[in-house]
Amino acid sequence: MTSPTALPVMIEARGVEKWYPNGFQALRGVDLTVHQGEVVVIMGPSGSGKSTFIRTFNALEDFQKGSIVVDGMPLSNDVRNIDAIRREVGMVFQQFNLFPHLTVLENLTLAPTLVRQRPKREVEQQALELLERVGIHEQARKYPGQLSGGQQQRVAIARSLCMEPRIMLFDEPTSALDPEMVQEVLAVMQELARVGMTMVVVTHEVRFARQVASRVVLMAEGQVVEEAPPEQFFANPQHERSRQFLSQIN
Amino acid sequence: MTVPSLTFSRLRRELFATPVDSVITLALLGFLLAVGTAFLRWVLFQAQWAVIQANTTLFAVGRYPIEQQWRLWLLTGLLAAASGLCWGLLRGRGTWPRNDQLAAGILIALAVIGSWALKLELPIQLRWWGITALLLMVRWAAGRWSQALPAPLLRLVPLVWPVLYLVGMVLISGGLGLMRVPPGEWGGLLLTLLEASFAILLCFPLGILLALGRRSELPLLRWGSVVYIEFIRGAPLITLLFLGQNILGFLLPGGLAPDRVWRAAWVLTFFAAAYVAEAVRSGLVALPPGQLEAARSLGLPMHQALIHVVLPQALRVALPATVGQFITLLQDTTLLSLIGLLDLLGTARTVMANPEFLGKNAEVYLVLAVLFWCCCAALGLGSRALETRLNPLATSKA
Repeated sequence: MTSPTALPVMIEARGVEKWYPNGFQALRGVDLTVHQGEVVVIMGPSGSGKSTFIRTFNALEDFQKGSIVVDGMPLSNDVRNIDAIRREVGMVFQQFNLFPHLTVLENLTLAPTLVRQRPKREVEQQALELLERVGIHEQARKYPGQLSGGQQQRVAIARSLCMEPRIMLFDEPTSALDPEMVQEVLAVMQELARVGMTMVVVTHEVRFARQVASRVVLMAEGQVVEEAPPEQFFANPQHERSRQFLSQIN
Repeated sequence: MTVPSLTFSRLRRELFATPVDSVITLALLGFLLAVGTAFLRWVLFQAQWAVIQANTTLFAVGRYPIEQQWRLWLLTGLLAAASGLCWGLLRGRGTWPRNDQLAAGILIALAVIGSWALKLELPIQLRWWGITALLLMVRWAAGRWSQALPAPLLRLVPLVWPVLYLVGMVLISGGLGLMRVPPGEWGGLLLTLLEASFAILLCFPLGILLALGRRSELPLLRWGSVVYIEFIRGAPLITLLFLGQNILGFLLPGGLAPDRVWRAAWVLTFFAAAYVAEAVRSGLVALPPGQLEAARSLGLPMHQALIHVVLPQALRVALPATVGQFITLLQDTTLLSLIGLLDLLGTARTVMANPEFLGKNAEVYLVLAVLFWCCCAALGLGSRALETRLNPLATSKA
């Protein structure tokens, strides 16, 4: 692998600060740079602002100070700019958020046919290939409610991939799953990382972070505490807050 | 043959378990029997149905000109054909399931017994038989040959209804070469159904827009919707109807204000829209916020996210309450009689005021109740069928 710094920057967040309407400050000046092909894992205790932070990347959350540039496009309040960024950034949620009134296949084809206006037949072909890749090809005509949690999350990943995004965001993708289904979702994510997808992952899965992450970022109280390659982060954390967090999750 | 004895033992277990239970059961049975026989005796022997038989046309269409009534017959025939077509396409496949046989039986019985009981003139009786036969024949044909038709053509079939509605409007009111029949001459069931269908069709999209407006992030839109909904819901319909009759005449320059019938239709529409908006809002609230987030994060612009993701789910949740509102709306059309329109109730009041039929109120009101019950039951049945059809996982019978 080449050094990640040689590759183009996909996400550049500088001094991002966010207040909720009730006055609570969720982000206190967060910086993060993600290069193409990197897998950045964000960890941290609940309430540390890690989910809020990655949700600012595709404007699901707004922020009051700082700047974020995604794939060369600075985030602004312009609706067209936001839609353009969302087309390039896929997101996978903790609760899957599949559309229950559409079949699995329709879940995948909805956005590409509407937003990219690609021919339906071609998108269906691609969708079936993606479903094959995540291992649920035979469930294409079923409704999400008929699938297990792990299968639903894999459909959600395939649905995002069907838009051919350049960046994938994962917001605690395995936290709502039964333990025996976590691995099948992580395997899909690992495969995605292997083929070079740029990924930002909020998760508590240490093993995934160790094996797949290019860098691990620890957030606490709305700030980045430590940022390091996984082998260094887990073996030799530099900050007291990191050591405390690691001792709690192990 | 174990089934009858099973039912019998179950009846005994549930209704005659203890002496007290037996007494209550017998007393209730006796009471029901007494009321039932008294009612039947009145219907069959004491009631004088001449008041209905002599005024069937009046109840049906009011004072619609006799020489123009062929237009209404034509419309009824078209409606029957369209119903038969959709019935056949939805349930046909060349067979008649048991429920369909039952429905066909009821339709035939209605045509034969109904026209006999109402002592309709022979030509009119013949027309009803013809219309019923047309409906059943189209249903049979549509069921039999639907497979042979190309799919794109079948997808156009639902368009029959809006087209038919516009054709019906022209047939009823005239224009395009037909003699004009001013709304003042429409009446009876025709006027009731016209006002109700007009209001139902328009209040639905209006209600959706209001519900979306109420949840909008734009303050002006949100507060406008809130004020509108709360104002309408705070006022009784009858006052709004009177207001509509009087105020529109003042506000709009002479000649521009719509006819009294249309003014009432618009008031009904605006009234029902506020209630439909609240029903739709309950559906919107029930939807997890993650659905909109997922749609938006896939790059769908707001309007597409609403049309393809949010509304299909929200409207399914709101459907029972919305249809309940439609049923209320249909019944609320009786208030039109109080502002001087000759809807079903208004026509009935003129009939009862006729010295010839004095004191026949019970007969008239009973027929009115049955007519309204039929219309509302049809709406309710339709909504339940739609609910099952819209639920992709309707396997549970609970």
